[in-house]
Amino acid sequence: MATHSIAFHERVDRALDDGSLQTALSRATDRFVTNRANALALVDDFDDLRARGRAIRASALAQLDDVLVRLSERIEARGGQVFWASDGDAARQYIVELARARNVRTIVKSKSMASEEIHLNDALEAAAFTVVETDLGEYIIQLAGETPSHIIAPCIHKTREEISELFQQHLGMPATDDIPTMTRTARTVLRQQFLRADMGISGVNFGVADAGAVVVVENEGNARLTTTAPRIHVAVMGIERVCERLEDLGVLLQLLARSATGQKLSVYTSILSGPRRADEPDGPDEFHLILLDNGRSQIMGGDYAEALLCIRCGACLNACPVYQSIGGHAYGGVYSGPIGAILTPLLQPELRDVHKLPQASSLCGACQSACPVKIAIPDMLLRLRADAVAAGKADAIERIAMAGWSQAMANPALYRAGGKLASLGTRLLAREGRIGWLPPPLDQWTRQRDFPPFAPRSFTELWAERQRRSAGDGR
Amino acid sequence: MNDAREAMLGRIRQGLANNRAFLEREALAAPHTPPPFVHPAGDDDLAERFAAELRKLAAHAHLCADRDAARAALCDILVAAEVRRALSWALPAIELPGLADDLMRIGVERHDVSIAPTAAERTAHLHELEPATACISGVDALIAESATIVLLSGQGRPRLASLLAPCYIAIARRDQIVRGLGQAIARLQQHAAPDLFADHSSLTFITGPSRTADIEMTLALGVHGPRDVHVIIYG
Repeated sequence: MATHSIAFHERVDRALDDGSLQTALSRATDRFVTNRANALALVDDFDDLRARGRAIRASALAQLDDVLVRLSERIEARGGQVFWASDGDAARQYIVELARARNVRTIVKSKSMASEEIHLNDALEAAAFTVVETDLGEYIIQLAGETPSHIIAPCIHKTREEISELFQQHLGMPATDDIPTMTRTARTVLRQQFLRADMGISGVNFGVADAGAVVVVENEGNARLTTTAPRIHVAVMGIERVCERLEDLGVLLQLLARSATGQKLSVYTSILSGPRRADEPDGPDEFHLILLDNGRSQIMGGDYAEALLCIRCGACLNACPVYQSIGGHAYGGVYSGPIGAILTPLLQPELRDVHKLPQASSLCGACQSACPVKIAIPDMLLRLRADAVAAGKADAIERIAMAGWSQAMANPALYRAGGKLASLGTRLLAREGRIGWLPPPLDQWTRQRDFPPFAPRSFTELWAERQRRSAGDGR
Repeated sequence: MNDAREAMLGRIRQGLANNRAFLEREALAAPHTPPPFVHPAGDDDLAERFAAELRKLAAHAHLCADRDAARAALCDILVAAEVRRALSWALPAIELPGLADDLMRIGVERHDVSIAPTAAERTAHLHELEPATACISGVDALIAESATIVLLSGQGRPRLASLLAPCYIAIARRDQIVRGLGQAIARLQQHAAPDLFADHSSLTFITGPSRTADIEMTLALGVHGPRDVHVIIYG
């Protein structure tokens, strides 16, 4: 279901009411957090590694124009082709036309958030190509007609029974909820697609400028097959996903694997530098790199350029108490969790309620602590909230409440009177020291949790009394 | 196409005008050099360390005294897995003299990978290779602290020979082991200066069996790549 057409609070309510989603989310995020912590504990000085990773990424971005030119020239020198795509339209059109020109029928894909962002599959299917997602999680999502709910684990919101149902329906698998059997079924079906595919489309974790190469990281082997078996490999890379030198991977890969899944290194890291050389026995005959802007150069000039340091590990999602409760779909965009609450309003401003995403945070700071490149996520979320208010996007009720608050703060008599009223009112509503119901619009709070009654006497009153008493003592 | 390139570069430069100072400050805040390795180094033997890490990944390490023992270990694995067809690097690149005779003796048919340029020939050849049940390769380096196999593709060194079949066996000399990723990259660049990728279109790091936890976070091995991974280290 297209969740982005529904109001944000409804998406959240649905997620909170979905029992199996809640079980799946807590199982997945607990596991990710534990694995990451265990992996970090083994490292000599992980904070030092994070500092280096941040510096390396910042350095590449500080000279992004030059870095992209170097990367593209080296790829071209090796016989690869580079397409500069200003937006999703340009990228989709290039890939569709390429596939047509080469008589492509079947296209295999490995995981790529950038291609999700530009809805590449829709364009390819509309042009009558067969497109097969090959990452197990992405394949399940594709069969179900859904979108990923986590950067690293796209189908954590589905139970094994639901997946078994899908496989029985689409692949003719006998009834079973045995996970190894389901995995083997997927392997067999997808292997046939790899053998016949004419084109493989992958994402890119890092473009390495001086090496003239792109890095693709994965655990299953589907990205290796996607980038090796078909005669054409198309790599789709957001322009910010770069580093300068091959040595930089000695830092970045270590950070990425540990932060994403708690592995020391991911199972497969493919560093791919153009089409196969004349004397190589296999590999693609054609290599195309799509450099996708799609709003990133705008971010570079604005107040949130730091978000471009992100290496898409998903650690901030797993660490976030809000993501842990609502999952990825509630955010509505391709990128979810704390970093998604920053990137989605910037990259997909047309989505419904997108300005509300920065509210989906308690500003606890767990995301920034988990971030392998130390992005100041809570600070940016706060500033995005301020931007939304400045742009007149705050709710009417919120505007009225804030106007009232500002009046009261400017007028001590009004402030004291308001405090007394609130104290009296809330104590009248309280049962056994807790308020379980408030009238609308305040019920938005009490539907989810209790509200504490105000203290019988205000701080100002207590302070005045204390002053009187100490003056009395001194006499 | 060139118009888009200039337009994108123009927008990036415009954006950088606002934030280059911030990014340059962050770039100077820490050194960029990769550490040679990231776990505390003991006085442990690197081969032992590699083997211990590999076993944690549910893969198999075989430490052998010499080339003959390595060949014997390889044959044992192939026989135990009832392998009849194998894809491999060209035999001279594996550096185990006598291996061709061994394979014939235990009834393993070795296939070379040789993808042709036309679409139909490519697909036909891939279908020929698919029934193989083992892949055999040498290595360019091993990384001890993560149990990682490092492979450069090239002449006689197909990428599919570490990928296509359910069982994969890599054969390495003891002196090819380094402690960490930083060291491995430095060594590769030294050996292949000035351009590592001049004759190689891919550099691959393999760390354990193909795996997924996409269904209910439950680990399953061998989803697309090899499920059984063996590393034979000799010398």
